[in-house]
Amino acid sequence: MMEKDKLRKADVYSGAIIFFFGLWIVSQALKMPMKDSWGGVQNVWFVSPALFPLFVGGIIALLGALLCRTALKIIGFKAFKETLDWLLSKNFFGFLNSTPNLRFYAIAVLFLSFVYLNIPRIDFFLSAIVFLMVFITAFYFDDAVLLKKLFCFYLAGAIFFLVYFVFGLDEALGRIIPFAADVLMLCFIISYCVYAWKMIHTSADLRKKYRTAMIVALVGPFLVGMIFKYFLLVPMPSEGLVVAILDYFWYLEF
Amino acid sequence: MVFLERIGFYFQTVLHLASDPINLAVLFGSVILGIMFGAMPGLTSTLGVALLTAMTYGMDTATAMLCLLAIYVGGTYGGSYASILINIPGTAASAATALDGYPLACKGEGGRAIGLTTTSSAIGTIISMLFLVSISPLISVFALQFTSFEFFLLAFFGILISGTLTSPDLVIKGWIAGFLGLFLACVGRDLLQFYPRFTFGLSELDSGVEVVPVLIGAFGIPQIIQVLKQRFQIGETQKFQRILPEFGTIVRNIPRIIRSALIGVGIGSVPGIGEDIAAWVSYGAAKNTSKHPERFGKGEITAVLSTEVANNACVGGAMIPLLNLGIPGSPPAAMLLGALMLHGVTPGPMISFEHPNFIIEVASILLLASLAMWVVGMLLARQVVKVLRIPTQIFMPIIGVLCIIGSYALGMNIFNLYLMLPVGIISYFLIEMGYPIAPLVIGVILGPMADENLRRALMVSQGSFMPVFTRPVALILFLVIVWTVVSQFAVYRNIKDKLVAKIMRGDSGETDLDKE
Repeated sequence: MMEKDKLRKADVYSGAIIFFFGLWIVSQALKMPMKDSWGGVQNVWFVSPALFPLFVGGIIALLGALLCRTALKIIGFKAFKETLDWLLSKNFFGFLNSTPNLRFYAIAVLFLSFVYLNIPRIDFFLSAIVFLMVFITAFYFDDAVLLKKLFCFYLAGAIFFLVYFVFGLDEALGRIIPFAADVLMLCFIISYCVYAWKMIHTSADLRKKYRTAMIVALVGPFLVGMIFKYFLLVPMPSEGLVVAILDYFWYLEF
Repeated sequence: MVFLERIGFYFQTVLHLASDPINLAVLFGSVILGIMFGAMPGLTSTLGVALLTAMTYGMDTATAMLCLLAIYVGGTYGGSYASILINIPGTAASAATALDGYPLACKGEGGRAIGLTTTSSAIGTIISMLFLVSISPLISVFALQFTSFEFFLLAFFGILISGTLTSPDLVIKGWIAGFLGLFLACVGRDLLQFYPRFTFGLSELDSGVEVVPVLIGAFGIPQIIQVLKQRFQIGETQKFQRILPEFGTIVRNIPRIIRSALIGVGIGSVPGIGEDIAAWVSYGAAKNTSKHPERFGKGEITAVLSTEVANNACVGGAMIPLLNLGIPGSPPAAMLLGALMLHGVTPGPMISFEHPNFIIEVASILLLASLAMWVVGMLLARQVVKVLRIPTQIFMPIIGVLCIIGSYALGMNIFNLYLMLPVGIISYFLIEMGYPIAPLVIGVILGPMADENLRRALMVSQGSFMPVFTRPVALILFLVIVWTVVSQFAVYRNIKDKLVAKIMRGDSGETDLDKE
């Protein structure tokens, strides 16, 4: 959590956002049937589906306005203006580029690419391996420069896969090579391993961390994934190359 | 006769559950996992219960409850390991334990402190279980008088009080978080007319926002971001010797144990607030009533005992409103509510009719969980604390994978993941800006109950709000809500101060006149 004075400054903005959000809820609720007929049922205001959203939206708007007012009362308009100036100054860009924020971007991009890009399209085991591999190596090495380099390498890979799927290359390649996206992901995993190794091989301490990271990244998904897939009978979000191989061995009749 | 029958059934259930090897394996496995979740700084019993909820989907209700309650009990206790051995509370609930637990470990009495926390945690859970069994029938009879107006007001009160008590900054932020949760509960087709609300034409949103992905997102993702962003490191673990149950210390401190248990049960039964507040209040009470308050903070054994009894007594306390009113008493209880609904059990006044033996079953599970926790604590503590050596940068990404697979496994729906991540990232920003997350989750859970009952109540009264003022329970709830809100404003405090001053002046005036 932020410090108190920073919190109050942030409250002005968050209060305003919440106020407008509340107004938006009310505006959307007003479009719902209040006294009109819906599905053959003539509405009255007290059974209308709009009643509860109106109540919730109204209170959210009221609380947002109250928060904004309370914060302004404490910090004053001068501090509000100072914050606005800071938001438009170069210092703000410096803040955005600070190491803790870089760590945040790395975590956010890793999660976003894992959930929205990889999981629906690439074999779950491979997606999880790459997620853990990048996540653990980037943070476990505990070096801002390495974090930046490894993250940039992963980002390049994520952009490549984004282009690959958006332009429908997967379908075209899939006709020639089975599990084309999975094979590409496998290649990316290998290249990431080589790249990370090249970055750290001179330090004995980092080599040890690298080995640990790789073992956890490989064992973790198999342990978790296999419990869900074969013991809890939950099919994986996307089943490809690795699941096909696992299925082959799992259902092999000796 | 009925009472004896209930006691008989209680022990029968305990024996039945304990005689099944699978149940025993689930019980001990879950307790160990819970202790690990509690011991690891950055992980909480709330997250443990949320992640395991998805795994219990295929189990029968009794086994699922055994698993989840064992994690809850183990997680609440496990936090004390990190508090005592590395001076970093494993969970917020054990923060008060660190004040005296760590100095004890530095003096070479770490084993004694862990032994005492183990026994006192087990006692706290068992006492709270007794309260759960004895108070539940009374509350149940009272709750049967509730109609739709009372249910609406109760849900509304639950959100307001949890917002008031859990907010780390301004109270208003707690209320905003609760109402944002209520908004999320509005998403989907409404329950009475099936009208699509805030679905943006997405058919996946028609059935509403699933509770478990919201729970996992709101508690899991911000935790991962916070720990990794702040480069959180676990310190050197203090060494400890043999762990003994410390029965002698327990016997000498029975009044303290009873007081701490009462504090724990009382605080646990207030919606939304949990073990951390109970532990601090109990610590304060122990210090204020001690003959040697100067020893507190320097390794006082009664301080450790008081905090651990209170935080574990909260577990049973939180079950009282959860099972009888359908209002979760603490954040992990909110997860349990979601899990119970998944298994077709709807907690509330009707629970004693729909599932007549359910509360006894929960009480039996609490007893078994506390016994399993004691056994694990006494025999395996030395092994379990090894998890404190795992760097956070390794286990947090694994928790990330568990969050994702856990959200997906429920309903096997990728859309749950698309929902979980934005909820998690927004929750992170809300936490950073001083908004509590527990009211948001409670809002999501209680939203449908509030919505449905408000409209049903108005339907019965033909749009009139008069029953709020004519029905005694509704009126009491309404007045409590008004007081909860009004008491937070400076105007109320000013008027109250003026009134108090006036009364005091009046009193002193009288005295002066009398003197004359």
